Amino acid sequence: MIKVYRSAIIDASADKVWKLVRDFNGLPKWHPAIGTSEIEGGLPADRVGCVRRFTRRSDNGLLREQLLSLADDTRTLTYNILISPMPVANYMAGMRFTPITMGGGTFSEWWAVFDVTSGPPQVTADDIGDNVFVAGFAAINKLLGR
Amino acid sequence: MTKIFVSAVIDAPIEKVWARVRDFNNMPDWHPKFSRSHIEGGLPSDKIGCVRNFDIAGGGGTIRERLLELSDIDHSFRYCILTSPLPVEGYVAQLTLYPVTVGDKTVGIWTAEFEMTNDDEAGTVDAVANGTFGLAFEVLSANLRR
Repeated sequence: MIKVYRSAIIDASADKVWKLVRDFNGLPKWHPAIGTSEIEGGLPADRVGCVRRFTRRSDNGLLREQLLSLADDTRTLTYNILISPMPVANYMAGMRFTPITMGGGTFSEWWAVFDVTSGPPQVTADDIGDNVFVAGFAAINKLLGR
Repeated sequence: MTKIFVSAVIDAPIEKVWARVRDFNNMPDWHPKFSRSHIEGGLPSDKIGCVRNFDIAGGGGTIRERLLELSDIDHSFRYCILTSPLPVEGYVAQLTLYPVTVGDKTVGIWTAEFEMTNDDEAGTVDAVANGTFGLAFEVLSANLRR
């Protein structure tokens, strides 16, 4: 089991960031690595248990992820991976967005725990941390930053 | 129930900030609002249950607070007020530091919950949120900044 944690300050209000990220079907709207997304069975994207089916831009690789929890008051969501082109298993992840009251902005956290099924675990962990999580924060900051 | 939430970015690595604030007996060393502090009974300041007995600078009175929880892994401590000049009861507060991995900074979050024992909620909230927690983050930022 390996754990990845990345955090950053996004220069926009937590409500604004959360509005964008809360949409479990909205990855293509903000994450540069993601091409298309749909919620299976036409369920609402904030229905806990729904599955998003989405593709990577780089290779059209398919991912299916299930929403495990969603809370607006703490601006938190968690999900797990059902199918992924990445060499991971038992993958569970979460995000949280907290307002910075002094000076504004949003403290943004993204974490995951998983097993790596092939190759050096730290390489996969750093790839996810830097190219998925940190790249996602940077894209949100570019989209919403003041 | 009155709730206070203050958060700030401190431009220093988390271990440096934690080393400054972890000692339950050293607030007068870094917080300009407070003078003189000792731990009652000569207990170690990281012994859970110990009581810090300290003064508000300039003759503002004495405060006694009990350490309820201290966690080095979460960079967090929680405490309650036993006696103070503040018009509060059931006061419990918690300071937690989080690492900002992008930029190697620290987010501090300081919260409190209490009941008012008089009508001056606005003045009490200002004294705690701005005069104590906010000022603490300001001086930590100024003193630890790279």
